[in-house]
Amino acid sequence: MAVINLKNRQIECKLVFYGPGRSGKTTNLEYIHKAFKKQVAGKMISIDTEGDRTLFFDFLPLGLGKIKGCDVRVQLYTVPGQVKYKATRQLVLKGVDGIVFVADSLAVRREKNMVSLKDLHENLLKMGLSIRKIPLVLQYNKRDLEKQGLPVMSLKKMDHELNRQLKVPSFTASALSGEGVGNTLNQALKLTLQSLQNEFKWAQ
Amino acid sequence: MDLGNKIKKYYKEAELYNSHGLLNEALEKYKSIDGLVKSTRNIRNREGILKQIALKIELTSKKLQKLDGVKATPEVAEDAQSLMKEMYTFDDPEAKGSSALGGAIALAKFGQYDKAIEELNRLLEYDKLRLEAAKNILWCWVQQNYTDYAVSLYQKWRKNKLFPPEEVDSIQAYFTELIDSAGGDHEIDELESQRTVEPDSEIDDDEILDISAVRFVLPRGPKEGEKIELEISFQSGKYIRMIIPRKEKDLIDSINPGDLLKEIVFYSPVAIFSGEGYVSSKNEIDAGPKKADYSLEIKIIKIVS
Ligand SMILES: Nc1nc2c(ncn2[C@@H]2O[C@H](COP(=O)(O)OP(=O)(O)OP(=O)(O)O)[C@@H](O)[C@H]2O)c(=O)[nH]1
Ligand SMILES: [Mg+2]
Repeated sequence: MAVINLKNRQIECKLVFYGPGRSGKTTNLEYIHKAFKKQVAGKMISIDTEGDRTLFFDFLPLGLGKIKGCDVRVQLYTVPGQVKYKATRQLVLKGVDGIVFVADSLAVRREKNMVSLKDLHENLLKMGLSIRKIPLVLQYNKRDLEKQGLPVMSLKKMDHELNRQLKVPSFTASALSGEGVGNTLNQALKLTLQSLQNEFKWAQ
Repeated sequence: MDLGNKIKKYYKEAELYNSHGLLNEALEKYKSIDGLVKSTRNIRNREGILKQIALKIELTSKKLQKLDGVKATPEVAEDAQSLMKEMYTFDDPEAKGSSALGGAIALAKFGQYDKAIEELNRLLEYDKLRLEAAKNILWCWVQQNYTDYAVSLYQKWRKNKLFPPEEVDSIQAYFTELIDSAGGDHEIDELESQRTVEPDSEIDDDEILDISAVRFVLPRGPKEGEKIELEISFQSGKYIRMIIPRKEKDLIDSINPGDLLKEIVFYSPVAIFSGEGYVSSKNEIDAGPKKADYSLEIKIIKIVS
């Protein structure tokens, strides 16, 4: 639920990085934190347990400056991917405006990607939102591992399994080196701001 | 692929999964390697490989176990807690003060019970927020398996007529359902007896060491939040008693029967350990050399470590 103040011409929206455990959601945020210093508008907060698994969420506030005459601020969140934290994911999703689904390209995580997408669908439904309507982009992460000779799924296969019905923009990425992270974020923001424009006509 | 290369490939995979925290996947791969090597005789350094893989399997299993044991809702740092609250401050902007309530409820849902209870307690003072705050306080205690304590709290509220008549039914209905779903046989309507229900103790009297002193944080009053240390003057099993000198007025006002002390450090001549206790009584001594001092009794409910 974005906060839109037309009088002061300010928008604040919320983007959530979703996906199965260990797919690289936190790594995405860490890269953004590092590489988009100018836009970073506050401290990154990470809460993790042993082994770097996210426990409640990561948080990173961004300030995008003026877009079409509006001061745009974005809050980035990640959810904890582990299956057992479903309730926490629901909490973090509350008020979401756009979603980046980070899928793991490792072949061993094939099923976990699908389960997590289904979990997203269910959690959105509970809040009265539809996965088909909410601004959403897919990211196929850890592509660098293919070059290292590790078993990675082909893009065709991933697109077929995760995006056949959704037909949303998808991006390849290696969040660890940052490749593709900016593209993913840009597209997600674009879709989100567009959808807020349709709803609230905030742009001049 | 020849066997040597296959093993190398598997090993590389397993190590990567391990480094990504994909422990189940890593474990499975190590086990495949183990299987491969075991089913083959003529392989170089067979014993060495088996030994190394066995070690990897053991370490990875240990890591997995450790992660499973991680507490689901640990306390987090203050900046994270304020963020949890902020995430919910847009709740229902119409209702006055509801953002504070929304924030406190968010803390509770994230399992930050102590902080949530602290904030909800403050909200009890506002007529409009009291009912919801009270419900959530009870919820927090029940979530932590302190249903007995929740019951005694509820009874205290009713006794003190905290709620106007039109709210009494609502909280009663809520609380009845809450403790029903928590299981166990708790009676919330024994109001006549007017006793505060003490939490059951998990410990047998003969399990308890002799305790010489305790340290804990004062739960309320003028010295709320301060740590104090008191010497034990008398102990009978899980009940310990200490004397508070009459001149320590602030201290005396900072602890009362019914208070639950969630972190007590117990000093015994042989060991230091920690646990939880319930203040079972506080009385002014009316005779003898310690006349007008206070005697405080704590029942030890739980030993944590
Ligand atoms: N090689 C490679 N490793 C990556 C990439 N992205 C993430 N990783 C690694 O994958 C592991 C998990 O990354 P995280 O960012 O912690 O994953 P997460 O999605 O936040 O995981 P949860 O918090 O458990 O849900 C870490 O060891 C990262 O270094 C990538 O693009 N390439
Ligand atoms: Mg994470």
